[in-house]
Amino acid sequence: MYLGKLFSMRKVSLAAVSLDAPAPAGDAKWVGLRMLLALTLSCLAFISHSVPFLLVLTVVNLALLWYLGNGQISLRRELKAFVWQTLVILVLYLIRFQDLSGLWGGFKISWQLFLALLPSMVFVRSTSQTRIVQALNRIMPCRMAFVLSTCLKFAPQLLVEVRSIYEGQVLRGARILPRDLVKPWHWLDLLHCVVVPAVVQCMALAGNIALAARARDFGSQPKRTCWPGL
Amino acid sequence: MGVILRLKKFSFTYPEVKTPVLKDLDLEIEAGRCYCLTGPTGSGKTTLALALKGLLCAGRHEGEIDMPSVTDSTPMAVGMVLQDPEVQLLTSSVGAEVAFGLENLCVDPADMSERVVSALLAVGLEKPLDYPVDKLSMGQKYRLLIAALLVMKPLLLILDEPGAQLDPEGLELLRECLRRLKQDGVSIILCEHRPDSLLSEIDTFLQLDGSGRLAEGRYQTEKLAPSSPPFSAIAEKETVLRVQDLSFIGVGDQPVWSQVSFTVDRGRRFAVTGMNGTGKTTLLRCLAGFLSPQQGEIEILGGAPDAYRLRGRLGCLFQNPQKQIFENTVGEEIAFPLKRFGLLNGSVEERVAEALAACGISHLIQQSPHKLSYGQKHLVALASVLAPRPELLLLDDPLAGLDDDHSRAVMELLVHYNVQHGTTMLWTFHDPDAWPGWADQVLHLEGGRLVSR
Repeated sequence: MYLGKLFSMRKVSLAAVSLDAPAPAGDAKWVGLRMLLALTLSCLAFISHSVPFLLVLTVVNLALLWYLGNGQISLRRELKAFVWQTLVILVLYLIRFQDLSGLWGGFKISWQLFLALLPSMVFVRSTSQTRIVQALNRIMPCRMAFVLSTCLKFAPQLLVEVRSIYEGQVLRGARILPRDLVKPWHWLDLLHCVVVPAVVQCMALAGNIALAARARDFGSQPKRTCWPGL
Repeated sequence: MGVILRLKKFSFTYPEVKTPVLKDLDLEIEAGRCYCLTGPTGSGKTTLALALKGLLCAGRHEGEIDMPSVTDSTPMAVGMVLQDPEVQLLTSSVGAEVAFGLENLCVDPADMSERVVSALLAVGLEKPLDYPVDKLSMGQKYRLLIAALLVMKPLLLILDEPGAQLDPEGLELLRECLRRLKQDGVSIILCEHRPDSLLSEIDTFLQLDGSGRLAEGRYQTEKLAPSSPPFSAIAEKETVLRVQDLSFIGVGDQPVWSQVSFTVDRGRRFAVTGMNGTGKTTLLRCLAGFLSPQQGEIEILGGAPDAYRLRGRLGCLFQNPQKQIFENTVGEEIAFPLKRFGLLNGSVEERVAEALAACGISHLIQQSPHKLSYGQKHLVALASVLAPRPELLLLDDPLAGLDDDHSRAVMELLVHYNVQHGTTMLWTFHDPDAWPGWADQVLHLEGGRLVSR
């Protein structure tokens, strides 16, 4: 009764609202295929050791990024992350082997890691969460599908939290700037000042998300239906 | 008006705590009325809200809560929006977010769209269903969360600290929304430290006094701050911060702000106000050297913004500073930056004692900072930033989420350091009228430009 009254108060048309646009039946299948492709490419990156194979995989990944990225994924940012990751790994290899002989091996490991992570990042950024849930619902219980897709959605927020903690600790004197971390004895600061609060923050975030879901009756029924829109 | 919910002698005690946080509460909620639950930080406002929603799991409770029965027409008796909208938005588009509750209630997908659109209209949020949630302002996100509950037809709506998240414009829109809900018979409980901006819609004030008791009336403390606190005697005509024609481009090549110019002299208190999402935090991150603006120049403490160079001279208190806490005791937490800046042991102890005394929390020195209340953690974090006596302090809305008592403590502490040690301060906040006379100069970020007020 009250909703009828409540929602009849104003007659406003929502521009571009596609009320009768349920997801095409083939959409979930298409998203599922993309997910499978991303997983396959990641697995291939882990098992490939030869340079020609890694080169082919790189070309395939770049093509995927260009085709699915739709301008929303910055290749420059991904390459920047790759450069940083490679530098850290090379330093670790230098410390481990004490000479330059291990550098090529370190570079290859970094290359493989990058190729293992890139397909998943492209998939997550180019696919809406609803579509991911719809696809996952076909292969796993709906609650688990929601938990998985929520993890993907909140990963960037967790990174923002970690960045915020990192910046605050830098100005509190923690020796965690890249030029500080060249000295391994400063790594303890990174563990104490950033990793520990980040883990605490991560657990708090998980608790808050779970509470927010329960506040909207998530888990009150054994099954869930799925929003048909985008 | 009929009673829709009743508490009878309700008490609740958290695990491993002897004293109940809520004690023998009696309360009746009538349909179509707006209640405001007030009380100091830690008095149990959120606990009571969680109890009404049925979200308290661990702990011991006594007494009764008479809830309205769940039927097909009212599938959810009580809806609740928690404090931080960001962690409650569980999906990526407006339509999916509102439909989340319907999915949980197993509503037929064919019936969802109409109900989702109706709920969005009820809160005045006119966005396409596939509109990305990330692109909404904080006020819009808050109304989206209300729509996500209305779609489930609750009889009672609980909003936890809406004032802490919303700027004046967002609060004005929320006020309109509350008015409409009341007219349609929905009861509302606001858990709020500072309800002044929503006064016109509040029918009944309730207060938790900190000992677990509930009574009618509004919890109030004395006025927050002197209207014109003294300025530092050390203030001098030496520029510590000069910003010239600064522009920053954000995600999607959208300009956040442009042509920003200002100067701050040593020992001054300087404020930047602006609505949510206008780029205040971005500006502070640029000043500290963590972000690079696309255009313009920054000269801070005699050089370019470089976090390495500024360590020890620049202090920064970002939003929700409690998350930086990691040590085992309060004393160690405050001593950490002092040790890193190379102070000798004797000086460290002296500075720690001074900072704790200034914050009024000397008695907590041996306690674990992780077990303190929200307000106390806030003071510990602030003390650890102030203890090294930075020349310039950047403060990003440092009173967010604090009650009046703790807000006053923070303000007095900042004034103390400004007056005694000549610490220059640059402060950002939502409400330009919240602290009249506190700053030498107030600038306002609006439409991507910084203007004088």
